[in-house]
Amino acid sequence: MRRNTLVLCAVILILATFAWAGWANWEYRRQEAEKLLAGAARGELVAVPGGDAPQYVSPLNGKPAPAFALEDLNGKKVSLAGYRGKTVLVNFWATWCGPCKIETPWLVELRDKYAGQGFEILGVDTEAEDLKPDDKAGWDKDRAAVSKFVTQEKVDYPMLINGDSIAEAYGGLDDLPASFYIDRNGKVVAATVGLGSESDIENNIKKALAE
Amino acid sequence: MKNAFSVRFAASAALIVASTLASHAQLVSPNAQNRSVIKTDAVRYLFPEQLTLPAGKPSQVALHFRVAEGLHINSHTPSDEYLIPTDFSIPDGSEAKLLAATYPTGSIITLPMDPKTRLSVYTGEFIIQARIAATPGNHLVQGKLHYQACDQSQCLPPKTINVAIDIIGK
Repeated sequence: MRRNTLVLCAVILILATFAWAGWANWEYRRQEAEKLLAGAARGELVAVPGGDAPQYVSPLNGKPAPAFALEDLNGKKVSLAGYRGKTVLVNFWATWCGPCKIETPWLVELRDKYAGQGFEILGVDTEAEDLKPDDKAGWDKDRAAVSKFVTQEKVDYPMLINGDSIAEAYGGLDDLPASFYIDRNGKVVAATVGLGSESDIENNIKKALAE
Repeated sequence: MKNAFSVRFAASAALIVASTLASHAQLVSPNAQNRSVIKTDAVRYLFPEQLTLPAGKPSQVALHFRVAEGLHINSHTPSDEYLIPTDFSIPDGSEAKLLAATYPTGSIITLPMDPKTRLSVYTGEFIIQARIAATPGNHLVQGKLHYQACDQSQCLPPKTINVAIDIIGK
């Protein structure tokens, strides 16, 4: 009897030890992940164990999207605040970015598909040219290049220029394309860097619409 | 008998608990590398770092560069007007003048998600043949290489790197 009791206690002790070890490990990893994100002023590509494609970890996830007001191709000021109450995809791209151009037709298609549910896309051209505000010739050339692309691809959502001026607020934009999915309350619910698949984009749109 | 059992039992339990704690300690080791951040300089200038050229006479120089693994940069003659070509230059006012630069022919690649678009790019090591004339003396010339790099799914912004060459004109 005493022997059986001893065995039972030992088994319970061992199982409890394993359970504690598992919890402590999970807790440690969670805290390390939080430290990593908190310390990162910029979004980072983080390799996921198991060989999956690197995932973009944006410090803006779950936070209010930084406000901005940029000019469209007609010189009209467009602000993110003007889209409060709508789900918005802010898509940073550039004319020299091949992957950006590959995803544009998908964005046009998805925008048309979900516009009726209060979804909009704001394309933000980010040429990284360090144009000065008074460089009229430079900005005209920029607008012309973007306009040509917009016409070619039949882009029907607002296209804004001078994305470089808000790059820092959106995590640095070291890589393009970069997309931020913003729910109706102005919160970033997903962020991606690089060319994903059309279904990945659609899933993030649905996620933002559902929030 | 009972004592022997108790001792063996206690020893086994202690061993199991100790090994559990040890394996847990390994899992939570601060040195555990279960994540890595991918950041790289897309292009590096390799060599030559120093040149002796006949002063005042044009000389052909092979400048060696390397593109980081997994990335490509547009060639000097990219396939699309909006793609940024790779370009080497020496600023005006330097003691060495770039008379001409001959670029290698780019390799043709396509991206998995856009097999119809052919890109002319440099990958790995590439060489730019520069025709340079230097004035007499020892000059640290700061050439510039302007390029724009991508991998298969994303692009880095255009960048200019310094190409520092110690040129001795004799």
